[in-house]
Amino acid sequence: MDPVQLAAVLAAVVVVASMLSVELGISVALLELGLGVVVGNVFSLDANTPWLTFIASFASIVLTFLAGAEVDPDDFRERFGASVTIGLVSFIGPFVVACLLAWGPLGWTLKASLIAGTALSTTSLAVVYAVLVETGLNATRIGKLIMSACFVTDMATALALSAIFITPNAWFPLFLAVSIAAIVGLPKIAPWFFRRYGDRVIEPEIKLVFVVLFVLMVLADQANGHAVLPAFVLGLVMARHYQQHRQEQERLRVVAFAFLTPFFFLRGGLNVSLGAVFANLGLLAALFAAKLVPKIGLVMPLARRHVPEHATFTTLLMSTGLTFGTISALYGLNAGIIDRTQFSLLVTVVVLSAIVPTAIAQRWFSPDVEAERDAAATPQHQTSRPRSRAIPATEER
Amino acid sequence: MSPYDFGRVLAAIDGSEGAQKALDCALSICEAVRAELTVLAVEGKLPAYAGSIGEVDEVKREKDTFFARVLDDARSQAEARGVDVHTDLVPGHAAEVITHYAKAHGHDLIVVGHRGHFLGDYLLGSTADRVAHHAHCPVMVVR
Repeated sequence: MDPVQLAAVLAAVVVVASMLSVELGISVALLELGLGVVVGNVFSLDANTPWLTFIASFASIVLTFLAGAEVDPDDFRERFGASVTIGLVSFIGPFVVACLLAWGPLGWTLKASLIAGTALSTTSLAVVYAVLVETGLNATRIGKLIMSACFVTDMATALALSAIFITPNAWFPLFLAVSIAAIVGLPKIAPWFFRRYGDRVIEPEIKLVFVVLFVLMVLADQANGHAVLPAFVLGLVMARHYQQHRQEQERLRVVAFAFLTPFFFLRGGLNVSLGAVFANLGLLAALFAAKLVPKIGLVMPLARRHVPEHATFTTLLMSTGLTFGTISALYGLNAGIIDRTQFSLLVTVVVLSAIVPTAIAQRWFSPDVEAERDAAATPQHQTSRPRSRAIPATEER
Repeated sequence: MSPYDFGRVLAAIDGSEGAQKALDCALSICEAVRAELTVLAVEGKLPAYAGSIGEVDEVKREKDTFFARVLDDARSQAEARGVDVHTDLVPGHAAEVITHYAKAHGHDLIVVGHRGHFLGDYLLGSTADRVAHHAHCPVMVVR
C-alpha cells in the first residue's frame, strides 16, 4: 500500500478509536492497540513502513518523557521506604522469572529473554492512576503508596531497558554527557525560555522539548543504546515546572495524543499476529503466569506487611502493565532482538495484564473508599444557606 | 412521623435531559413538603486501562469542569425556588455511590432520571434500575 494511503487508513482508525474511547470509557491507547491488531490482521497492512516506524519510535520517547513529567513529586515522599521495597520487588520478581522461562524452557536467545523479562516486569502507572482517581483513592494513604511503588517499578524498567541492551562504543560517553547536561540544564533553561518564547501558537517550548528528545534519540542510536532512561528522568526533573505551568503540559499532551501516540499504539497492534497468538496459547499462558505469579507471590507478603487491609488490591494493581511493556517489546522488535511471534505473545500478555488484574481488583478487592477518604479527603461540598438539619461533621467529605 | 415524611431528598444528576427532569421533580417535592435537597453528581468512569496519566488527567479535568457547571446550575434553580440545597460531587460508580451516599447521609427519598447519557446505561441497564434495586429508601424514577 502507498504510504499516503496507509496514513489515511490509519488516521481513520485513530478517529474510530477516539470515538469508541469516549463512548465506552476505555482508554484510547488500548483501543488503538486493539484496532491495530484487527486492521493489521484483516488487511495485512505494512507495520514497518519507515515513516510509521519513525513516528512510533519518537512517540515512545515522548510517552516516556510524559510519564516522567506526569509524576507528582510530593506524592512520592510519603512512605517512600515501603514503596521502594514493593516497587523493586515488583520489578525484579517477574523480570527474573520471565527471563528464565524464556531462556530455558522456551529456548529464546538471551537478549530476547531479557526483552521478555523487561516487558513483563512493568507496572502501569497510568492504569493504576485511573483506578485510584476514579474511586477517589489517589488522595489516600493506600493510593499514594501504590502510585509510589508503581513509579519505582517504572524507573527500574527504564533503567533495565537502557542499561541491559547498550553495547557501549565511542559514542557512549557523548550520549552520557549530553543526557546529564539535558537533565541538569533543561529545568534551568526552561523557565527563561518558556517565559521569553512560550504562550504562542507556534509553540517554541514544545519544539525545545522535542529537539532535546531527538538529540537523545540520535545519540542513543549512535551509542547502540536506548534513550528511554534519560527521557524518563528528563520528564521527572521537568515535572515540577509542568505542575506550575499546566497549560504547557496540556498543549504537549494535545500534540502527543493527537498525532504521535496513536501511531505508536497502532504500530504495536499492527505487528501482533493473531495467528501466532492462537497457535501458541500454551506459551501465552506460561508468559502470563511468569508475570502474574511472581508479582503475586513476592509483592503480596510485602503488601501484607505495609498495607495488611488492602494487600490483595495493592498486589493486583502492581501486576498491571501497558505502555512500558509495549515500549519494551517494540524496542526488541525494532532492534531485531525478538521476532513477530515473540512480539505478539509479549504484547498480548501486556494487554491482558492491563485488563485482568485491574478488573479483579476493582470487582472483588476494592477498598472501602468511604473509610479511606474520610481519613484524607477535603470537604468538597458547599451549602447555599444554613440548613435546618445539618449533616453531622463526621459524615462530611 | 410517617415513614414517608420526606425531610431530606437526594437528587442524583448527570447533566442529561432525564436528570434535569429528576431535579425539577425533586425541587417540586422539596417545595411542597419543605424538605432539604442534596444534589449529587457522580463523576463516573475515567478511561479504563489508560496508556498515560495525561489521558486520565485530561478526562478528569473535563469532567470536573462539566459537573461544576451542572451543580452550579442546579444550585441556582434551587435557590430561585427557595429550597435549601447542598451540592456534592463524588467520584465512583454511579449506582453504588448514590445508594451509599443516601444511606450514609440519612436521605429519605432518592430522585433519579430514567436514563442518563452514558452508553453503558443502554448496555448494562440504567443507573436508575440499579439504584432502585439497592437503595435503602424509596426511589423515584422520573420519566
